[in-house]
Amino acid sequence: MIEILQWSTLTVCGLVATARVPSALKGMNRTLFYIFALMTFAILLSIQAPYFAIDQALGGVNAANLLLRFVIFAAIFFVGLRVTRGFGADDAYRLLTGQVGMAVLGLISLAVIVLFLLMDTAGSSAGMGSVAIKDARNGLLVEYYGAAGRAYPAYVSLVLLPAMVRACRSNIPLLVRVAAFLLALGAIAIGSSLSFPVLPPALGSVEFVINYTAVLCFVIGLALIWVAKLWSERSGPRQKTSTAK
Amino acid sequence: MPIPAKAFQRWLHGIAPHTSTSDICRVSGIKRTTLAQQLVRGKVAEATVVSISRAYHVNPVSALAAFDAYSQLADAHPPTRSELVSQISTPDLLRAVLARSAADPGGVPAAAAPAGSSTLDPAPHATSVKNWVEAIDDGELRHRVSAATGIAPQNYSAQLTANRLAPELAVATSLAAGVGPASGLVATGLVTEAEAGWPPGARQSALDSLSEGELTTLAGDRLQTLGRALRRQEHDHEKTEKIWENLG
Repeated sequence: MIEILQWSTLTVCGLVATARVPSALKGMNRTLFYIFALMTFAILLSIQAPYFAIDQALGGVNAANLLLRFVIFAAIFFVGLRVTRGFGADDAYRLLTGQVGMAVLGLISLAVIVLFLLMDTAGSSAGMGSVAIKDARNGLLVEYYGAAGRAYPAYVSLVLLPAMVRACRSNIPLLVRVAAFLLALGAIAIGSSLSFPVLPPALGSVEFVINYTAVLCFVIGLALIWVAKLWSERSGPRQKTSTAK
Repeated sequence: MPIPAKAFQRWLHGIAPHTSTSDICRVSGIKRTTLAQQLVRGKVAEATVVSISRAYHVNPVSALAAFDAYSQLADAHPPTRSELVSQISTPDLLRAVLARSAADPGGVPAAAAPAGSSTLDPAPHATSVKNWVEAIDDGELRHRVSAATGIAPQNYSAQLTANRLAPELAVATSLAAGVGPASGLVATGLVTEAEAGWPPGARQSALDSLSEGELTTLAGDRLQTLGRALRRQEHDHEKTEKIWENLG
């Protein structure tokens, strides 16, 4: 079940990233291509088999997991950048790129790196499962490390959420509103990932579902805005509505 | 509320006996699948009754009045002056302003506008539903309609803004305001002025009876509302453009 979710998420991300290649080559909103490519790479790194292969190449000390954290940070940062710009959420934009945003990013990055170095990280395993069961100290560190890794995406999501809710209720084209709704849903999913440490271990699969739901919501939401634009260009200049008579 | 299929079938048998459904559809220009679907669901749209009535030279308002839900349509009132004026389109109002000042540059009210120099566009116009409700609203009308029909005020407003109003709400609004029950159907475009029993030229004479001040104020109000709507549209358009520029 989880395998299906993982591979289908990877497929969706990969397809969208590939579909963006032509416009990226033409220089149209390259950031979007980078976002999709980074997300695809992040999903790839979260699946056991590819993770193992990549981590072995990097020395087998779970450096790939550290890489994964920063790939996610980069992807979510660019998502935040483009979305706040596009939806005209200037206050949210400042919260991401201003001093507060940079301080949050810096502190969390530092925490992730320090916690990683404190652990005995030998032995490749996606999600650092085999590291966590070595002893109590490593188990605790993995827990903190995971929490730090989720903190930055959660910060960006919370910053984005009000703007997305506002966009859902505004008078922009329906497809874009659906996209904003999906982005809001993804933001809520990521925000709720903060509660993972208090979830009982029996609900482990819930964590997977929430993570991949979040990624799918973001990718499909962003792709939908693109589709809406292509759609409107194809149907020609906007028709005047009744009040414009 | 739409008309029950059974009552509709009975009525149909009355005006077009021994006629097949496909013939009725052909004559009245209704798609066969549309009618079939309405019959299967047991609810026939008012517009269907109107189209069929016209095809068989029956007055659509009296046809609707034959159904229980629309029995109030039977007692006709003449429209009020403000209702008549509300059904004049904004461009027509503006033309009237210009025509009057051209006819009488001194600013003294003209005795008679050049009659018949231009004909008014037939109702409905781009904002006719909202203008109609505003014309008959005593301040409590929306509240009474909502109490009588159970529609939420914001849904009612949304329909007015979209220049729509379900036929049963149009009739309920007329009744709540104490005006002719068919007026709302004219404003929503379901029936024509003539079908609702409005005298020919009634809108033109209502327009002619407006004083210079009344006409100018009215045109000004309409322009202001139109301006606001256009500004809102432009604003939404700019927002959409920005989203596409950054995320498209």
